[in-house]
Amino acid sequence: MARATIVGAGMTNFGVHERPLPDLFADAAFDAFDDAGVASPEIEALYVGNAMGGMTENDTHLAPTLASHIGCPGVPAQRFEDACATSATAFKHAVEAVESGRHDVVLAGGVERCTPETGLDTAAMTRVFVSAAHRQYEQPAGLTFPGVFALLTKRHMHEYGTTEEHLAEVAVKNHFNGTLNPRAHFGRETSVEKVLDSPIVADPFHLMDCCPFSDGASGIVVASEAAAESFDHPVDVAGVGHATDVVPLADKTDLPATQAARDAASQAYGQANTTADAIDFAEIHDCFTGAEVMATEALGLFEDGAGGPAAAAGRTALDGEVPVNPSGGLKAKGHPIGATGTAQLVELTEQLRGEAGERQLDDPERAVAHNLGGDAATTVVTVMEARQ
Amino acid sequence: MSDTDPSADRLDYVAWADRLRDGELLGQECAECGHTTAAPKAACVRCGSRTLAAVTLPTDGIVHSETTIGVPPEGFDGEYQVAVVRLGDAKVLGRIDGAVDIGDRVSFADVLVADDHPAPVFEPV
Repeated sequence: MARATIVGAGMTNFGVHERPLPDLFADAAFDAFDDAGVASPEIEALYVGNAMGGMTENDTHLAPTLASHIGCPGVPAQRFEDACATSATAFKHAVEAVESGRHDVVLAGGVERCTPETGLDTAAMTRVFVSAAHRQYEQPAGLTFPGVFALLTKRHMHEYGTTEEHLAEVAVKNHFNGTLNPRAHFGRETSVEKVLDSPIVADPFHLMDCCPFSDGASGIVVASEAAAESFDHPVDVAGVGHATDVVPLADKTDLPATQAARDAASQAYGQANTTADAIDFAEIHDCFTGAEVMATEALGLFEDGAGGPAAAAGRTALDGEVPVNPSGGLKAKGHPIGATGTAQLVELTEQLRGEAGERQLDDPERAVAHNLGGDAATTVVTVMEARQ
Repeated sequence: MSDTDPSADRLDYVAWADRLRDGELLGQECAECGHTTAAPKAACVRCGSRTLAAVTLPTDGIVHSETTIGVPPEGFDGEYQVAVVRLGDAKVLGRIDGAVDIGDRVSFADVLVADDHPAPVFEPV
């Protein structure tokens, strides 16, 4: 029995948007409503993710603002903030709300602007992003978010022999997938040479190992299993795991393990009564190329240390044994922080329905989404299944 | 309510930062499970005990991981190297003065203050 169902999915293009947060969110919400065939008054509650609007746009208390903007005034509405895992945790609460019987049909989603449309330049946004690292024990040393994942990845390279070329292959794959996704921020291919020739952001990461600063929104209409009967194209949410790890990162027992992902995956697979071997494809939080390598291992798709060589060998390509990030991932699709988690679920929904266009995989039945926040200290893993 | 301040004996951030500014790097050891950290907290991150003792950390350590930051945040000038350094049973994030690789030996050498918050600086030995 599914914990919940997704009956509608929508998102904006990811990229650069002049439109402010309410209009961006409305575009994604209405795309999801139209996909589900619901009108605003049918939505019983709103679970919305926005990580940094208070810092970037002086915009807080967004939940009732957004509910009002999309024609859902008066419903219980709440905003979530868990760094880059913001909208996945919003989604988790939406699932629990319909699973418990509190509500039948709700909206989960996220919205964020990270490009210079906010008025902030690269140095200012780099400071905003690093607010998700420990204020007292990490920020004073001058750490950045690429630096956080560089510290995890360098240790992975030291322990397992992962190379910069392996990392670059992840970027090449995700850029190719992005060329097949009309909503992706980047629609052009790249090469290992171009990645390795791009400037260093935080070694081993070159600019082309890093996801872009993006604007965008995404939305998911979540319904209880009983309510799903009245919708045309429900997809089952079989498991949602949510775990955290120790902060700051120096206190983590095993840096490249990304333990929260392992714990969240174990929960999600258990709820779905499945294993990593039965996963047909994955959307993974590839904020940096090294993050995708570590996540493929933490999710059990590959043995520890095998993630880099697996990517380089094409095992995670669209035609590989377990395609990873068919959407282009954060690397090519883009990463509007608070919108990313539910955007991953848009891709899972479309692929499991067979509606993913040029990048459609061959009749997938079961998929996993991995959305992490901070120094991998928050991770939400979701298992979804096509309806038989 | 207790009639004494329960945090009176705890090494809190303000005390840790004051000592660091004075050139002393303190950590915290749990009386219950023995876990040691270089990032003092209100309870033990491993077992939850509130019985934590301040300890002086070793000044010599080993680089556990490192990266050179090429694009710094506002308020910092690049490029510079940061590292996770293992000091005895604890690990700490700090700035590197010089250039190091994983496995190199380093020594606590200085203190950097950024936006009124101190960070330890290590140099190769």
